[in-house]
Amino acid sequence: MTHYTEDDLILYYYGEGRRRGDPSTSSGSPQALWRDDVEHHLETCAACAKAYRALAETLQLVPVIDVPEREESYGLDVWQRIRSRLPEPVVPWWHGWFGWKRLSLAGAAVAIVIGAFVAGRMWPPRAPASPVVAVDPNEAGARVRLAATSDHLDRSERVLLDLMNAEGQTVDLTDQQAWSADLIDSNRLYRDAAARAGDELVANVLDELERSLLEIVHGPSMPKAAELDEVRARVDLAALLFKVRILADELHEREIAPTQPRKIT
Amino acid sequence: MQMDAIEAAAVLARARQGDSDAFRVLVERHSRNVFRLAFRMTGNEQDAEDVVQESFLRAYRQLGRFESRANFGTWLYRIVVNCSVDLMRARQARQAQARIESLDELDVIPTPAEGPGPERLAQSAEIGARVADAMSGLSPLERAAFTLRHYEGRSIDEISRMLGLRTSATKHSVFRAVRKLRIALAVLK
Repeated sequence: MTHYTEDDLILYYYGEGRRRGDPSTSSGSPQALWRDDVEHHLETCAACAKAYRALAETLQLVPVIDVPEREESYGLDVWQRIRSRLPEPVVPWWHGWFGWKRLSLAGAAVAIVIGAFVAGRMWPPRAPASPVVAVDPNEAGARVRLAATSDHLDRSERVLLDLMNAEGQTVDLTDQQAWSADLIDSNRLYRDAAARAGDELVANVLDELERSLLEIVHGPSMPKAAELDEVRARVDLAALLFKVRILADELHEREIAPTQPRKIT
Repeated sequence: MQMDAIEAAAVLARARQGDSDAFRVLVERHSRNVFRLAFRMTGNEQDAEDVVQESFLRAYRQLGRFESRANFGTWLYRIVVNCSVDLMRARQARQAQARIESLDELDVIPTPAEGPGPERLAQSAEIGARVADAMSGLSPLERAAFTLRHYEGRSIDEISRMLGLRTSATKHSVFRAVRKLRIALAVLK
């Protein structure tokens, strides 16, 4: 007769394990505990029954934790303690595009373009002036690279956000995998371009991003919640989403006012 | 403060857009539950207060990652658990000399010379003190896993997801916690 271990009995005490006939059992691990088997065994094995009784008696001795009561106004107290320490919230990248400031700036830009067009039509034509400002081809190339990389980061952020916010026992990641596969090739191009330009910061983040994208592509399409949580934990641990978001913002800024790439400290 | 589902969703949506007044509503609504969980996790009022504050600050920073279809309370619960584990780790590092290190140390807790039977002791402060002693000797993960399993009634799978552990690691944490408690309480039986 095979006896159950203390660990098995602890799981049994806490109601863990599956009953025979539960369809989810067939895909379970070899260690899955069959409650029916344990129950039957405890009825027939005096030694295990004694061990179980001892375990149950001890755990029943563990007293209920007496939590100090908090008044109705406690929430307000907490708020007053934290309000001055609230940081800027990290909101989804697309939220910013719908803010009134952005919309009003966009409106102003459209008005200027229309005004310039109308003025151009009404003014008499003049002889074309010779160009006075030469465009540095290196700077133009850098701008193109920054614009393309920041767009790439925006797209990658959306994939990561989908992954981080997926819910449910099993999640279908087929779309995210296809999307990630598309992003991997461009990610390599941008990483290499950043490395050649000496932009260590961008190259490093893109390197980390590639590892996560590869993990998504080569992972299961329908991961279980625990598997998904493991991937999420790794993304979380590396603060990848945060880095991608911050870098995208920085690249947008650099497009407007290009500067020398920062070095990682 | 009671809110219906539509109002709660609206408040949450505003909070996610950085509206601090909306976040205040969430803080007022959830603070007492957060404190209860934090106290069970840390076993200490001051630590629980620290966890409450840190959890809300962390939640505010991470609101952009919260998916509106999910339950805010569940999401916040997970943050509280992880803040508690972080705090317990920091506390243990500070008090490394004072805490009970291993099963062996628990083994040498002196047996009371004379005392009432277990039925009476079940209600007594001595059991509470011994459990508190044993709990303070658990690692942060053992304590978190045991609290969530024993007091909060969470399944091993749920606990694994909350703590970001493999199922086997979660089970192992619960097993070790139970063994330590059994040794601490054995003298009372």
